[in-house]
Amino acid sequence: MRHNRFVRLIALLGAFAMVVAACGGDDEGGGDDTFTIGVSNNTVGNGWREQMICAIKAEAKVRGNVDEVVLLNRDTDTAGQISDITSLISQGVDAIILNPGDAEAFNSVIEEAVAQDIVVVVVDNAVTSTAAYLVSNDQAAYGELGARWLFEEMGGTGNVAYMRGIDGVGADTLRDEGFQKALADYPGITISSEVFTDWSPTTGAQQALEIITTQDINGIWTSGIDYSVVQQFDAAGMAYVPIVGADNNAFIGQLLNIAGLSGVAVTNPPSVGGAGAAVAIDILEGKDIDKVTLLTPQALSDSGDLEDIYIDGDFPDGWSSYMEIDPYTHYTADDVIACKGPGE
Amino acid sequence: MTATTPTAERRLGSPEVKRWIQRHGWTVGIWLLLVVLVIWYTTLIPKFGGFQTSTIITGGTSWIFLGVAQAVVVIAGGLDLGVGGMLVLTSVAAAQFMDGQSLGVILILAVLITIAAAVVNGLVGWIITVSKVPDIVVTLGSLFIYQGLALMVLPKVGGGTSGSFRWMFTGSENGIGSNPWPAIVVITIPVVIIAWWMGRTRSGLSLYAVGSDKTAAFLSGVRDAKTKIVAFAVAGAFSALAGFSSVSISGVGNPTTDGGTLTLNSVAAIVLGGVALTGGVGSVLAVVPAAMILFFFNPILSALGVDPNRAQVIQGILIVLVMMVAGVLEWRRSRRS
Repeated sequence: MRHNRFVRLIALLGAFAMVVAACGGDDEGGGDDTFTIGVSNNTVGNGWREQMICAIKAEAKVRGNVDEVVLLNRDTDTAGQISDITSLISQGVDAIILNPGDAEAFNSVIEEAVAQDIVVVVVDNAVTSTAAYLVSNDQAAYGELGARWLFEEMGGTGNVAYMRGIDGVGADTLRDEGFQKALADYPGITISSEVFTDWSPTTGAQQALEIITTQDINGIWTSGIDYSVVQQFDAAGMAYVPIVGADNNAFIGQLLNIAGLSGVAVTNPPSVGGAGAAVAIDILEGKDIDKVTLLTPQALSDSGDLEDIYIDGDFPDGWSSYMEIDPYTHYTADDVIACKGPGE
Repeated sequence: MTATTPTAERRLGSPEVKRWIQRHGWTVGIWLLLVVLVIWYTTLIPKFGGFQTSTIITGGTSWIFLGVAQAVVVIAGGLDLGVGGMLVLTSVAAAQFMDGQSLGVILILAVLITIAAAVVNGLVGWIITVSKVPDIVVTLGSLFIYQGLALMVLPKVGGGTSGSFRWMFTGSENGIGSNPWPAIVVITIPVVIIAWWMGRTRSGLSLYAVGSDKTAAFLSGVRDAKTKIVAFAVAGAFSALAGFSSVSISGVGNPTTDGGTLTLNSVAAIVLGGVALTGGVGSVLAVVPAAMILFFFNPILSALGVDPNRAQVIQGILIVLVMMVAGVLEWRRSRRS
């Protein structure tokens, strides 16, 4: 009984390891003709990213030759996301789909993955490295299209509230380029306040409430945080001003149903994730794909167009109803809503 | 001890061996657990080589430094919630000032930032001893202050450091590679120095004395105020090392990193490393593998196909289990004696 404590500690550690083991699933890989796809995403709790992940899973499932989607989906900083990508590399995945939290910090880890024969597809936010494939909505066009519509709607004059995304992130920088390009053509428009919503519906709502109750504005440009901004007008009892948003189903619903609200939905489908998965699988299958795939946004403002993509009924607020992206994706909208990957 | 059975006596039953096991059992056990987990991980992934070893050690470096920082303060009877904030502040300061400089300048900056971190955090220790406000309150304040200062130093992701500096912490000029040795050296040297200091010198041992019984320590001539300030200063310096590791991995400073989460990870690391939250007990040598294990959870659970958000729940459950078992062991031992 002399080293009882030591023996028990060892037994405890064994039990500890078994608990960890029991929590895991089975990890057997498939044969040579099937692929494993790793996904790294750095923001959770945002409907857009959630739908992006579901589109990746849906595409991987319908293609039939992906045996597993390894999902590293958590709120983390650059160092954390880099370590997530290195663990995907270590697991020997065939492709990595990545929505990066910075335009430069991931270049080395992307190049390392490519050096280890892993296909890297960056979706949504571009990186400066050319080693990766990029599948993204054309963000500069997104910024410009909405801004032009808004400045026209405002009659070429007045104050605009400029509600951006996350400072320093690729998509935000590109949208700003587009926005500024449009702004240069409308000398009568002034930016009366510029804020970063961090693409959070709650943050955006708070900022919007402050802006509309303290400033005299004639229009709002949002980087996709739209429906919660519209709600603030109602909360504050203010008259609506023209607003630019994205193809969030809730926003489209507001545009269709609220009298006196004018706005434009510029498409920025989260299903770009599905298109990214499609591109990754195509490359793994040996197809020749362009390094950069840009999806051109559409500006939807008349009710016919809006009604076409609106889903009335039980559908998450921050999700886009525009899911099937021709000619890339193979799934149906229902596959994305089901949100099931291979083997699920 | 008789002349007839000296070896058997020495091997198992001698008081020294018993005492050694009592004293170092937890440390040995945690190292063994780390080894078991590594071996297990090698069976989960197709290949385990330099790249895997290097990325795991490199990724775990800042967890280790932050765990050691927390351990020093907790052993001295305190608690520092600010360490995570200090990591963020020092990493963005490094990224802001080191960008584009030569290695010589960068090394001088590294020393200056480390000293500044030690002085500032030592000041926090001083405020605690003078004001008698509990550690948890003062350091909650310092956490927010560091986090806010980080945003003032570097408003958004950016800055950088040199390839050679990144090599020191990651074994590669671009922060990712297959050479684990520089990271191992960079962890080993400060940790061995601090372990030696805490175990062999008067000022280091006074941390244990103050942590286990302030009054007794005072009566035997240890100045508890000075000891606490020193402990907080050491924690500041180790947080700076963690910050350098972080900036070396990502190559940029990230002011929006959540320092609070990093602090809680450091607390988890010392708990798993057998440091008593009541002070006076524990070894930084056990905190090293404990911090490594906590970092290692993510790669392992992802190799098992567990959702990382669920992984946190598992991590939490394991920490509670470890605490419960440690409590039971302690209770059995006190009942026996």
